[in-house]
Amino acid sequence: MTVPRLYNYDLDEDCYRVRLIAGCLGVPLTLHGIDMFPGREHLTPEMLALNPQGRLPVLQDGDLVLVQPAAIVLHLAETGARDHALLPADAVTRARMMDWIAFAVRDLGVAAQARLCSMLGAPGDLRALQAAARRALRIMDDHLTLRGIAGEGYVAGPAPTLADLFLFPAFALSRDYGIDHDEFPALRLWARRVRTIPGFRVMPGIPDYH
Amino acid sequence: MSVDGWFPVALSGMIAPGTSAGVVVQGIEIVVWRDTSGRAHAWEDRCPHRGMKMSFGFVRGDHIACLYHGWEYDTAGQCRKIPAHPELEVPKTICMTTYGCVETGGMIWAGLGDAGHAPVTPDAIAVRSVYVDAAQGAVLSALPGAFGATGQRGAAPLIDRVLVGVQPVGPDHTALHVTAAGGAVAASTLISLARRATVLRDSVETGVPA
Repeated sequence: MTVPRLYNYDLDEDCYRVRLIAGCLGVPLTLHGIDMFPGREHLTPEMLALNPQGRLPVLQDGDLVLVQPAAIVLHLAETGARDHALLPADAVTRARMMDWIAFAVRDLGVAAQARLCSMLGAPGDLRALQAAARRALRIMDDHLTLRGIAGEGYVAGPAPTLADLFLFPAFALSRDYGIDHDEFPALRLWARRVRTIPGFRVMPGIPDYH
Repeated sequence: MSVDGWFPVALSGMIAPGTSAGVVVQGIEIVVWRDTSGRAHAWEDRCPHRGMKMSFGFVRGDHIACLYHGWEYDTAGQCRKIPAHPELEVPKTICMTTYGCVETGGMIWAGLGDAGHAPVTPDAIAVRSVYVDAAQGAVLSALPGAFGATGQRGAAPLIDRVLVGVQPVGPDHTALHVTAAGGAVAASTLISLARRATVLRDSVETGVPA
């Protein structure tokens, strides 16, 4: 079996998502560094042939090329760690996991835009992006507050799933785009639990407390 | 402007041993942290070295360390370690501005300025904290109706006694720390109370009565 190749930029939030989840699943990756800033290597003809959207990450596993982070992490789990507890077998828990992964992509995706806008001057209305990201973080905090009262510590139930790891970076990096952690007590406690998942790793901007 | 008095700044359970969080009272930035023995502390949220927020840092045993250069402070606020100068006996003049800090009724309170006597409130069970984008007056006037205390509109009271800590964050921001007093409360009731707190936040912010 060949090791999948991840076209990676260390400061990209979605690349970190893939590295984080692969690490927790125990799935090996070959990292192929792409200098997005200032090199703009993600926009070379070779990279655009892999991903016409001109984004990272890109995963190449044999003939298979994947460019959507949610598809990448599911593929890694299903091929490399099929029985891993982070990929729940129970259909209801798996559905909840998928619901929150979709939330991370669709509703919380503005957080990554806000971060690029704030840190790298990418185009966008920073205040509007911040407000939308804050709304999404509130929804997560409200959800985890209620789960916490019910005695469950993770978004899809009592145990962590891929969804928790998928959601984690946008909250952990929120100070990069001007949103502090003060207003999200349930998220603070949850983030601390996520950090204890075996294989957890950080990226620049997310402090390693140990 | 001087701010005097005791202010609730968090529900006790939201600051786990060995963690910290930033809170704001009338614009004053405070770090609340709990040492590993379980004692809570409230200090000015500013490292004397470079002004970094201490709430971005991390707790090690009975010290809190700044994220920026790792300066560590003991529970009295005295700097004990400067990693760049490990042999240095740290001068006594390097210390944090500390505030009063007590826990009562399931909340952490910070005593600012001429704080007066520390509060003593009945034992209570945590429901949730909500952070509302509205002035304290608007939040206070919505509070009785939200928990059924007026008997005029909304649902009937769920329990006899809801105790709410009111934290004036700034002119347009108010935090509420909601607890249930008077003995054991079922988790389902706590969830209903938490939902009412969420509805209160949303209705005050949108101006649409719940």
